[in-house]
Amino acid sequence: MNRIEFMTELAALLQDVPAEERRDAMKYYNDYFDDAGEENEQRVIEELESPAKIAATIKADLGGSTKEYGEFTEKGYTDSRFDYKEMPAGRVNLRKDQQGSSHQNRGHEYQGNGYQGNNYQYQSTGEQPRTSNALKIFLIILLVVVGAPIIIPVAIAIIAVIFAMGITLFALFAGLVIASVAVAFAGVCVFIAGIVNLIPEIAIGLALIGTGLILAVLGTIGTVVSVRICWIVLPGIIRGFIWLCRRPFQRRAVV
Amino acid sequence: MVFNTGAALLDAIVLAVVSQEKEGTYGYKITHDVRRAIEVSESTLYPVLRRLQKDECLEVYDKQIDGRNRRYYKVTARGVAQLDLYRTEWKSYSTKINELFEGGISV
Repeated sequence: MNRIEFMTELAALLQDVPAEERRDAMKYYNDYFDDAGEENEQRVIEELESPAKIAATIKADLGGSTKEYGEFTEKGYTDSRFDYKEMPAGRVNLRKDQQGSSHQNRGHEYQGNGYQGNNYQYQSTGEQPRTSNALKIFLIILLVVVGAPIIIPVAIAIIAVIFAMGITLFALFAGLVIASVAVAFAGVCVFIAGIVNLIPEIAIGLALIGTGLILAVLGTIGTVVSVRICWIVLPGIIRGFIWLCRRPFQRRAVV
Repeated sequence: MVFNTGAALLDAIVLAVVSQEKEGTYGYKITHDVRRAIEVSESTLYPVLRRLQKDECLEVYDKQIDGRNRRYYKVTARGVAQLDLYRTEWKSYSTKINELFEGGISV
């Protein structure tokens, strides 16, 4: 096996680890071969044993299971699960381990304590801001629980009032338009009635036609004016309404 | 070597080796320097370095050497703090062991 074969096999074996991990490991071993130099290539390959062993080591570390199953020692990564499968030489180690197992176990415990102790220190310093966050969440929950019977009806009432105001304004202007149209329509009707009455009673007929014309003109002018007013006012009302609806959410976002 | 080197001691040794170079050092050299103290196989140190890097005790950067990029490892402030902790732990541990060893009857 040469360097290229070794690296190719390692890359193939690391296909199922995250891309970043794979790149990092490949970079490390590629650098290692470069720095060892061509003359040491075979020695390095022999010492690294096999791509399979390296891949198993990397994957075992990624799984976060190092503390449960095995650990890194001067002999490399020793893990009871891999002893039979990956390393034929591991059996010798296993026999040694059995002889001195009680001593080793004590050693492991000591290391474990020392290491965990450090971790606790880091955790405690990192946790301080979290308590104030928890307090905040608790206060919000308290506020919701205590305030819900008051806040929810009040909120519904406010929304209803705003909605009613919007509808009222809209209805007012719509009413103006409808009234003007109605006046114009009435004028037309009176004008027609005047024509109908022209034959039996000329005076009444003429009076009705005149009234009808005046009403129709007034109605038309009213319609045009009120439509114009609506054109100007309604978008303003709608914009104001949307602004009112949005305001509570914007405020919450700022808090 | 008769005694096993556990994970924490290996971490400590690697941190100590890397911290000796102000500008940082690289995989091959780290392996050689560690080997001056203990016997390690060449596949041992990568996972240790990777773990220390993830724990933010080491940081990496690439540097142009002989027309290629070589990855360098450098100790972070956190790594220095961790190393100091290992140093004091080791001092008390080794002192106690020494006392035990030297206090006994020599034949």
